[in-house]
Amino acid sequence: MESLDPRLNRVNLEDKSLLKPKVALDQFETYETFVQTNENKPYQHEGVVHAPNEDMAFLFAKEQFSRRGTCSGISVCKTENVIVSPTTENGKNIYDEYEPHGSELHEYEKYEVFHLFRRGKQHQHIGQVEASSYDEAFNKSKAIYNNDKTVLNVWLVKTENILFVDENYRDIWHTLSEKQFREATAYRALDKIKKFKEENS
Amino acid sequence: MYGGGNTFEKLQTKNVEDEDPQLLAVFEARIERGEKIEPSDWMPDLYRKQLIRMIEQHAHSEIIGALPEGTWVTRAPGFKRKLALMAKVQDEVGHAQLLYSAAETLGKSREQMIDDLISGKSKYSNIFNYPAYTWADSCFISWLVDAGAIVNQTANSRGSYGPYCRALERICIEESFHLKYGHHCVIHMATGTTIQRKMMQEAINRWWKPMMHFFGPSDKISAHTEILMKWKVKMDTNDNMRNQFLDMYVPKIWELGITVPDPKLKKNNESGRWEYTEPDWDEFKRVINGDGPCNAERIAVRRMAEQRGRWVRKALLSPKSKYVTPLA
Ligand SMILES: [Fe+2]
Ligand SMILES: [Fe+2]
Repeated sequence: MESLDPRLNRVNLEDKSLLKPKVALDQFETYETFVQTNENKPYQHEGVVHAPNEDMAFLFAKEQFSRRGTCSGISVCKTENVIVSPTTENGKNIYDEYEPHGSELHEYEKYEVFHLFRRGKQHQHIGQVEASSYDEAFNKSKAIYNNDKTVLNVWLVKTENILFVDENYRDIWHTLSEKQFREATAYRALDKIKKFKEENS
Repeated sequence: MYGGGNTFEKLQTKNVEDEDPQLLAVFEARIERGEKIEPSDWMPDLYRKQLIRMIEQHAHSEIIGALPEGTWVTRAPGFKRKLALMAKVQDEVGHAQLLYSAAETLGKSREQMIDDLISGKSKYSNIFNYPAYTWADSCFISWLVDAGAIVNQTANSRGSYGPYCRALERICIEESFHLKYGHHCVIHMATGTTIQRKMMQEAINRWWKPMMHFFGPSDKISAHTEILMKWKVKMDTNDNMRNQFLDMYVPKIWELGITVPDPKLKKNNESGRWEYTEPDWDEFKRVINGDGPCNAERIAVRRMAEQRGRWVRKALLSPKSKYVTPLA
């Protein structure tokens, strides 16, 4: 095949009939990504990356979610490590509606708590509790973080299952100002059009 | 980047009449109120399948759409253009990843989606089956194909499926850079030397036909989509989106002293609609079904990526991994 893409002319492509379907997990596991846009704001869920391990998940998340705007922190955790409460209907508070039971007991550990306040929006990081099970963590966050704001859904993640970036590495977020070429504002051209129109009218 | 309209042919699904009427009523009332549907909510089979197909095709269009421009990165004129084009291509691939994840929340794995792309089973935006011969073609894509995509994506971002809307909001912010960058490139060519102007004009001439196809077949001949409009899966008709695109961009092309290769193209000031030569929908169908100038090449590049990256993915995969559907 003579192609406009020179790589295709160099590579020896396997016959299409030899194509086998991808094996399970060929695209790896998913990691949920939480982004802090500036130091005074809570971390917020932004989306998902596929990665073979935590460190690469962090790198992919950094590429995907901090290309633009501002960012002061990203953390990632495996999707399987997020424990999700049911979601309420009709604006009811999940802390009034739901009583968790049956989760495994273990040593006291830290848990991160995320709240969803509005349908269609994303979960926000609210704080941390210490507990010996997910049930206890849910009840403790109800005692500490439930106020007049309606919570529709709660996510709990053991702190040890989240990759946070060390405070000392804050500099890695300070490169965005060098990337003005990624911004629409770097491509103003109205003067050029105006001049062209004047010369040609 | 994304061209819709081609995504609404009939699907094999459970009939809407066979869905649980109570659940269906709750679902429809939620959409009616303007609330988003989230992955854990009940949804009709048709809604789920249609969305998977639409979001998946959108993701493929981002991946494949990065190819005609991607090959111009090394030949873009000057360091600044290379830097900008590289950033744009990276964005497009990032868009694909956001979209694959959104589709994944509906229950189709990324492995299956990529399989369906490289086996030729899934479709993607038809316009990328045409070749980018010159730098001016790359400029056309960056400006006008992205402009078309923005019309489409802005409409879809008001849709009903939460994860798709959130991905699109993020995408639309990046698209504004693509649009301005592309316009900047075209202005530079169109206000440049005689040769540059000629190159730009020729690119417009080459791309106008696929650009008119971009929003999909005319409403007169496309499948009925009332229920998908009601469920806020499809947000506007193909002809309305095409009209919006022409309204916004034809004057901007004309002001550069460039002509559009359609003698019938003009705005009817009474109806507010643009009139144009009816695009050749047979060609559209032929190309989307595999017989375009670049279909084989585009898929071959993805097969190459599959083949070359296989050992890396194999080496990195931990035996302890297990698959869980992403949350939102
Ligand atoms: Fe895009
Ligand atoms: Fe784009």
